[in-house]
Formats: sequence, C-alpha cells, structure tokens
Amino acid sequence: MNQLEIRDLWASIDGETILKGVNLVVPKGQVHALMGPNGAGKSTLGKILAGDPEYTVERGDILLDGENILELSPDERARKGLFLAFQYPVEVPGVTIANFLRMALQARLGREVGVAEFWAKVKKALELLDWDEAYLSRYLNEGFSGGEKKRNEILQLLVLEPTYAVLDETDSGLDIDALKVVARGVNAMRGPSFGALVITHYQRLLNYIVPDRVHVMMDGKVVAEGGPELALELEAKGYEWLREQVKEGA
Amino acid sequence: MQVLDKTQVEALSQALGEPAWVLEKRLKALEAFARLPYPSKKDEAWRYTDLSEAPLEQGVETPKGLSLSRDELPELVKRRLEKTDVSGFLVFVGPDLVYAEVPEELRQKGLVFTSLAEALKTHPSQVEAALFQGVYTEDKFAAENSAFFTHGAFLYVPAGLEVEKPLGVFKVVEGGRASAGRSLLFLEDNAKAAYIEEYLSADLPPTLHLSATEMVLRPGAHLRHAHVQTFGEGVWHFHRQRALLERDAGLNDLVVNLGGRYARSEVASELLGPGAESEMLGLYFGHGRQHFDHYTLQHHVEHHTRSDLLYKGAVKDEARAVFSGLIRLERGAQKTDAYQANRNLILSPTARVDSIPQLEIGANDVRCTHGSTTAPVDEMQLFYLQSRGLPRTLAQELLVKAHLADVLGRIPLKALRAHIEAVIEEKVRI
Repeated sequence: MNQLEIRDLWASIDGETILKGVNLVVPKGQVHALMGPNGAGKSTLGKILAGDPEYTVERGDILLDGENILELSPDERARKGLFLAFQYPVEVPGVTIANFLRMALQARLGREVGVAEFWAKVKKALELLDWDEAYLSRYLNEGFSGGEKKRNEILQLLVLEPTYAVLDETDSGLDIDALKVVARGVNAMRGPSFGALVITHYQRLLNYIVPDRVHVMMDGKVVAEGGPELALELEAKGYEWLREQVKEGA
Repeated sequence: MQVLDKTQVEALSQALGEPAWVLEKRLKALEAFARLPYPSKKDEAWRYTDLSEAPLEQGVETPKGLSLSRDELPELVKRRLEKTDVSGFLVFVGPDLVYAEVPEELRQKGLVFTSLAEALKTHPSQVEAALFQGVYTEDKFAAENSAFFTHGAFLYVPAGLEVEKPLGVFKVVEGGRASAGRSLLFLEDNAKAAYIEEYLSADLPPTLHLSATEMVLRPGAHLRHAHVQTFGEGVWHFHRQRALLERDAGLNDLVVNLGGRYARSEVASELLGPGAESEMLGLYFGHGRQHFDHYTLQHHVEHHTRSDLLYKGAVKDEARAVFSGLIRLERGAQKTDAYQANRNLILSPTARVDSIPQLEIGANDVRCTHGSTTAPVDEMQLFYLQSRGLPRTLAQELLVKAHLADVLGRIPLKALRAHIEAVIEEKVRI
C-alpha cells in the first residue's frame, strides 16, 4: 500500500488519446526513472498525476498509498503529499518566492508556520542548492533563466518535503553544474519516506540520480522495465532498438 | 420624503447658517439640477452604465446637529481608527459632522481643518476663493451635490507649511435617504499635506451617495490624496473630484472602489502651470453585481507638465468595471509627459470590463503613451499555485493581489494599504 500506483490509465486532450493504459508502481523509499522518446506521453503522465485540468482521464486509477486521488483537485493532491516539478515552471509576477513558499508550506502542513521555522527550513535548502537568499524576494520565476526555474522547483521540493515527487524533465536545458545541483537536491530527499518518479529523455541525469528501477514509455504505454542498466542500454542502442524489441515481443 | 426643490435648499442653507453668496450658488446649482436630465445609456459617458435600479430621486437627508464622543463613534469608524495613518480627522455620520480631532500644534501654525459650515464662519475669504471652483454643475449629480450638500470638510494649509502626517475624513452613510457631502482642500504656495477620505457603511437598502472633492494647489504645493470607499451593499456612490494644479504643484492621487452596489469616480487633474505633476492611481475589485465606473481626465494646459495614470482592477462573478480615460493636451502644452495605463483581470466568464483610453493632442513636442489590457486569470498560473497545495480561492487571491501589486506598492500609507489588502482578501473569499 505504501506506493504510488498508476493502474490502466487512459487520458486525452482535445479528443486525442495520449495515455493508453499506463501501469506503473513507485514504492515509497525508491526512486524510479521514466524514460522514453519524445511524444511517448511521459510529461502528460506527470501533469495528470498533479491534476492538470487540461487533460481528461477516461479510465484507470491513480492510487496514493492506496487512496484513489483521481477525483481530487490539484491542491488536495499536493496536500496529501504529491509534488510535480514542472518541465516549464510558470512565471507569476507580483508573487514573491518567499511569500508563496511560506503559504504553500502552511497548506502542506495544515498549520501556521512561524517566520523563524520557515527561514530555518529555507536556509538549509538554499545552502544545499548553493543558491542566493536574494532570490526569495524575487517574483516567482519571473525573468528566470531555464536553470534558475529548475533550481526553484527543487527549492520547493526541499521545503515542502512531499511523500512522492514527479520530476518532469528537470534536466532539460541544464548545463552539467546545474544538473549536479538538481541531483544533489533530489538525492537529499531520498529515504524510506520518500518516493520519486524522475522523467527524463536522456540517461545523463541518471548518472547523478541513480534510479532503483527504470520504466520506458512508448506511445502512451509502459513497454519495458528494468534496473539502472536499462537506461545505459537505451543510451547506447537508442529507442528504435527497443521499439523493434517491443514489436517482436508482440 | 423631501422634495428636491428651492424650499429645501433655502431651509438647508439657513439651518447651516450660510452666508448669502453660498445660498445664491446653491440656487444656481439647483436650476442646473432641474434643467439637466438624468443620464441614460444614450449619453456617451454613461453608455456602459445601467442606472435602472438606482434610487436616483431619493430625497436628501437634513442635518440633525448630532455630535458624538470618541467612544460613541460607530463601530465601523472605531475599527478603522485602531489602525490608521491619519493624525487628525473628522467623522461624518449621515448629514452631520459628529466628531473632530485636529492636532493643536497644526492649528497654531495656521492650518484649518474643520467642517465647511464652520469654515464659512471662521475663514470666509479662503472658502469663497475656492468653493465650487473644482466641482459645481458639470452634470446632474454634481449639480445635485452643489445644491443639496449637507456637510463638508475644509482643509486649508498656509504657505510653506509642510504637514508630516496625513489628515482625513471618515464618512459613514446611514441609508434610506440620499447623502451629499464635499471636501475642499486648499494648499497655499509650497504647502504640503496628505489627505485620506474613507467612506464606510453597513449593508443598506438602496441609498444614493454623492461626494465631491475640490483641490486647489497653489504654486509649489504638494498633496497626496486618497479616496477609498468600502461601502456595504446597496450604496450607489457618485463621486467627482477635480484638482487645479498651478506652477510646480504636485498631486499623488488614489481612488479605490471596493464596496457598494455602484460606484462612479470622475477624476480630473488640471495641470494649469508649468512644472505641475499629477500621479493618478486607481484600484478596484468588483464582486457579485457590483458596477464600478472610472472616468479620468489628464488635462495638460501648460507646457512642461507631467501626468502618470495607472488604474488596475479585477472583477469576478457578474461584476462590471468601466475605465474611460482621456489625456487632453492643449496647444500650449509642449514638452509634456503624459502616461496612462489601465489593466484588468477577469476572474469569471460572466464578469466584464470595458476600457476606453483616449488621447486628444493639440501640441507636437510631447511624450505620450497609453495602453489598456483586459485578460482572464491565467489558468496555468492557477494550476501551478494549486499544485503546491494552495486552494483555488487562495491561489486566486494571490493572483488578484499580484495583479494589483504595483498600484498597492505605490501607496506609501501603510495602514491604508493594509486596510485595502484586507478588504481584497475578504472579497476574493466571498
């Protein structure tokens, strides 16, 4: 029961079916990678887990520690401990990171969070990410570079301490130093009470966040699973190789 | 029921002990009031406004001569006094000035801050020089105010006096009868002051409220002025203000509409002398069936004048807002800077905003920009905030405040800003 479970999930946007029966389990305490070619439906899965209203779920279940969360609003899901690090974090001018993050932490914990408690938490996260305190008084993602936006997602991850996190291509557009910082953040979260699904197109990130399991999505379905070595194999042989394998298997 | 006629004007003027010239002015205004028709959607300046439910012909209340101690003030006012920027203030309840508190040291320096009726007795020449100069019979409601106003505030700041802390009025509307009042603010050469008008009421049956603010700024004078209404339901509020700015005078103006059933603010800055500058800020947030009209004028008469207008608002439910702003540059208004921006956030598909920026340029060596945007709340932003655990209403509140942040950030009156923010928070959650 202590797991994030996706059961036979079908979903569409504007009448086009993107997910075609996804099955996937991330046990608490583990970090899994979700790989796949462009257009496989990886990011769609991430957004649907978080409750993006743009998509229509046609069939299936999403179980968070055994509880079906499909009918819950995005904020209810978040308060139950689910976190999505966005592939394209949204700019919100007029809302400072500090103000927003404190409100989010209060929502997550369901209680008032004093300034001292908040700062202690944020300071620790900033140190880990090697990030300047000055960012906290900036407006949320406004004018941020791609790397800054991703770092800000990880800052939120560290402060909000969700039970399950989905990281949607957090590595895309990052140079190697930024990539290491992001990995440091995620690795710091690892432990028996945290599970994560790391969505990535490339194997590169997985050198720094070594996954317990690797799932591969193609055309709206999970088509292969394996240990960390699967990612290396994909890197070497490409997705076409796997596509052939899947065809032969079918 | 009072009839809006000559007998009432005469009785009112007599009851207030006014000099003959004021009665004469009132009677002339009454003629205009009788002559002018009520506005309708056929009038360009009223085409977006539905007055069919407005208690337009409601009789105006008559002064009762009520006076209260500080402890006896209405709760609405007491709550505001717990956290306010003002150091001296007048409180009006219905037609009467019921309480006044003005620092003695300011009086000793020649500052006058009292009711208009009182000022007409103690400082007749100063009042006569300015009263009705800014607002008189411009339209039906201005004429009604000029003929029937029962109360008013008069602020006179002598030359060179810089008043550090803001002064202000709190007006409580009682309901059932029309209420009409004015403020006359007169700053002599190089005087400096800040003045906050706050309008309050409980939820009321349909009630007409008329207010007018006249500002006379002599050379080098500087005034910060705020007109903030947080009425309860049922109030139909018609406000008109006009500032006359002479050479090197400066005005920082703010108009806030949050309450009532309907509110109309007609706000004009007349830049009459070189070097005059006017900042005009507006902020509004409508819910339910509220309708807020804003008609602004940046009138550049002389050269080297500057005006900077920013009106921002949000509407939800079935609320409506109108912004119609005119920048008018006269032929002599060379080397003028005039800016105007109106930005609106729409929180529901049944809410609506009409925004009409306009320019009339008679000079050629000027810098002039205007712009207007009206957009629905960004669903991507809402989803992002919600995905971090913030309930939708809280996320919306954050976005409304973010939208209004640059206007709020330009209000240096801390307690007033906190008050406005608190009302906005409350309104998001309704």
